[in-house]
Amino acid sequence: MTLNAKRWIIAFLGFTFLASLLFVQYEEVTRRRVEVGLTSHSISIPASSKQCAECHGQLTPAILDHWKGSTHAEKGVGCVECHRAEKGDVDGFDHYGALIATVVTPRDCARCHAAVESEFARSHHAAAGNILASLDNTLAEQVEGSRTPFDPHGAPVAGRKAEPVNGMAFAQVGCQQCHGSKVALKATDGSKVTVDDLKPGPDGKPTNLDAVGKVLKDQNGKPMFDAGSWPNTGIGRLNLDGSKGSCSACHSRHDFSPRRARQPENCGKCHLGPDHPQKEIYEESKHGVAYRDLKDKMNLDAPKWVLGKDYTQAPTCATCHMSGNLRNGGRVTHDPGERISWTNRPPISLPMDTDAEHRVITEADSEKRAKLIADTAEAKRTRMKEVCSHCHTSDYVNLFYKQYDDFVALYNEKFAKPGKLIMDTLVKADLITKKQFDEPVEWSWYLLWHHEGRRARHGASMMAPDYAHWHGTFEVAERFYEHMIPQVREIVEKARAEGKTDAAKQVEDVVNEILNRPEHSYILKQK
Amino acid sequence: MQTPIGFVRERLPISGDRLRELTNEPVPHHLKRWWFALGGTPAYLFVVQIVTGILLAFYYQPAPGTAYESVRSITEDVAFGWFLRGVHRWGATLMVAAVILHQMRVFFTGAYRKPREINWMVGMCLLLCTLMLGFTGYSLVYEQLSFWGATVAANVAEGTPLIGGMLKRFLLAGDTYNDHTLPRFFILHAALLPMALAGLVVLHILIIRLQGVTELEFENEPEEEKQSHFNFFPDHFYTELMIGLLLMILLSALATIFPAAMGPRADPLTTPEIIKPEWYFYVAFRWLKLFSGTAAILSMGFIVFTMFFWPFVDAWIRRRTRFPEASVWIGAIAALAIIGLTLWEASVAH
Repeated sequence: MTLNAKRWIIAFLGFTFLASLLFVQYEEVTRRRVEVGLTSHSISIPASSKQCAECHGQLTPAILDHWKGSTHAEKGVGCVECHRAEKGDVDGFDHYGALIATVVTPRDCARCHAAVESEFARSHHAAAGNILASLDNTLAEQVEGSRTPFDPHGAPVAGRKAEPVNGMAFAQVGCQQCHGSKVALKATDGSKVTVDDLKPGPDGKPTNLDAVGKVLKDQNGKPMFDAGSWPNTGIGRLNLDGSKGSCSACHSRHDFSPRRARQPENCGKCHLGPDHPQKEIYEESKHGVAYRDLKDKMNLDAPKWVLGKDYTQAPTCATCHMSGNLRNGGRVTHDPGERISWTNRPPISLPMDTDAEHRVITEADSEKRAKLIADTAEAKRTRMKEVCSHCHTSDYVNLFYKQYDDFVALYNEKFAKPGKLIMDTLVKADLITKKQFDEPVEWSWYLLWHHEGRRARHGASMMAPDYAHWHGTFEVAERFYEHMIPQVREIVEKARAEGKTDAAKQVEDVVNEILNRPEHSYILKQK
Repeated sequence: MQTPIGFVRERLPISGDRLRELTNEPVPHHLKRWWFALGGTPAYLFVVQIVTGILLAFYYQPAPGTAYESVRSITEDVAFGWFLRGVHRWGATLMVAAVILHQMRVFFTGAYRKPREINWMVGMCLLLCTLMLGFTGYSLVYEQLSFWGATVAANVAEGTPLIGGMLKRFLLAGDTYNDHTLPRFFILHAALLPMALAGLVVLHILIIRLQGVTELEFENEPEEEKQSHFNFFPDHFYTELMIGLLLMILLSALATIFPAAMGPRADPLTTPEIIKPEWYFYVAFRWLKLFSGTAAILSMGFIVFTMFFWPFVDAWIRRRTRFPEASVWIGAIAALAIIGLTLWEASVAH
């Protein structure tokens, strides 16, 4: 090779090297710009949604802006991809040439996120709408509100028209915004059309065409929603297509931010307040304290957000109950029940042995029970321990669980089981009605387990001593000894005065037997 | 009025002619073939490693509590950190490869023979130094491979008869991995080994200059090229420059296309199911799995010992046996065995 040829090759290589350094510089500058927020990620509006973006950019600019910040926008998932309706969908309507539906259900999200949807569908979250037939709903619909609308009394409130009062408003705005509404369309005959009337098949399409036929539509042909059921992002929403739940309960539309879903404030929309203050409990715990301090270092934007890899500073609700971690290979679950070993929801806490349908098994016979179990409480606990073990030794974790188990057992045995026995005996002896919340003792019992008892148990489960004790067992004890027992004694006295001697004795015997147990001896000596 | 050049000349009496003579050693003709220029590549890459290594050391924190986080910060936060780390990592891989290729070229051309035996042994020290730099280098990241790699290496060292326990304690600064282990690896990686390597490189080149490069002839060469020489500067210098630039482009491309990643953080409580060292230790790793404990270590020691003194072994074979070119066959079999063991280790999980 001649010297001149070498010189030319060196010149060429020199320029190539320089170009590669320029490319490195370009990469670095791009990275910096994204990091300091000077450039947003590149987004593409798919052709099918161009028209939507043009109008809604003017009409509802915030929706479009939120969407632009989403991963959906990055990946080219536009408006139509989610809002698309199919022929035969009861809520589908023609919107400037596109057949769309207003409510996006988990069935729609499953078109891309099938595995996530099936995990969610078997979770307790998805079943949150079952409250619609529960004790809590009796409270909101009947005690607080009224199941039938009624006319206002006397002169209307100044500035308001006289119109029938919606007695369900408390339940709809309170309970159902967390638990989920039964989505309803208005019907031409003044009634409502819900999933119960539509009887959707496995494909989500209604099978009762009569119900479809009576859906009331506006002048543009758009089905009209019943205001009591929509807007609603309750996590157990009962949708018109038969699916349960709402993904936007946690993944707020329209940016569907995983970052937000990872933060406890997201869960705090529902998991707080007097009956299940998980959010406040978390804030009181060391976990919550560390989170507030170190949140900025927690890499909340990481694509996978794996504990032990992407962050280690503190756990959030998502960390323990849903997110992936190093020990489980980074597997995220959309069934938060997978790692919970006690259910503290009912009056008496139960181990979370669940059947094939993911229901908690209440069967007491051990042989029958064993046959029913598909996933044991122990297996669930092991999954949770995997999370704990990123920060705590196995000894520490096991001893914590011993403390927690002891706490729940003490609550169960000293107050919950006795309380339930007393209430059941009162009903059996016919000294109170089966109807709920019509006698003071029923309020006391409800407050004992549903508010104070749960606060205590949740406080113990998530390391918040003040909730376990002062907001918890202290109030449980006060409720039991100072409210419930005196109320029961009053009922007994009243029954005796009315000549119901046997019934009175039956209840009194149960109460005395309970109070004569050694664990209640302190109170007995005081009286 | 004194000129600036005159000012310097007066104070640094260097003769231009002497300098030209010193830097312009005539180069034998065979060095026009590029594979004879491989010896310069590890030295060149060593300079790249020193420059990038110093820049990385500005940010690296050698303690178990902070090491992983500081490497993460270099990779994600520091300006050009990802690039420097990528170049350093790929530079290490290429340097090991270059040393091995250079050594194979020297071996198969018999360039280690008398009077160049000492320089071969210096070369062996350079190889071992390079491998140790690689090992201590990936120990610094404090990912699972770092921690468990160091633990496995210490346990292997412990298997050495007589001095095993001492070796292990020297490596780990104690009986087990502890707070002093990582600073020790850092001092080895960033101070002791580079100094040793630099000294050995100087010695290596000095000996070459004293003895001159081995002069080789090829059968199909025209007569006038045999025994002919050309100037180091600019002819050979250009060849080296071309190789250097090619390497820089290659490094830059590798660092950008395959940036240095990070494994999971070291977790002393979780032994990874699969632990694999860097590719250049595959052969040793497979060897250790084939033979148990002390036998594996002693045999490996014997092989390294033989390689070290190979020029004398080869001379003995040439003198005493009827197979003067036996070294080529032995070398070929050894190279095949090394490639075979490496591929074997690469292809299986355990």
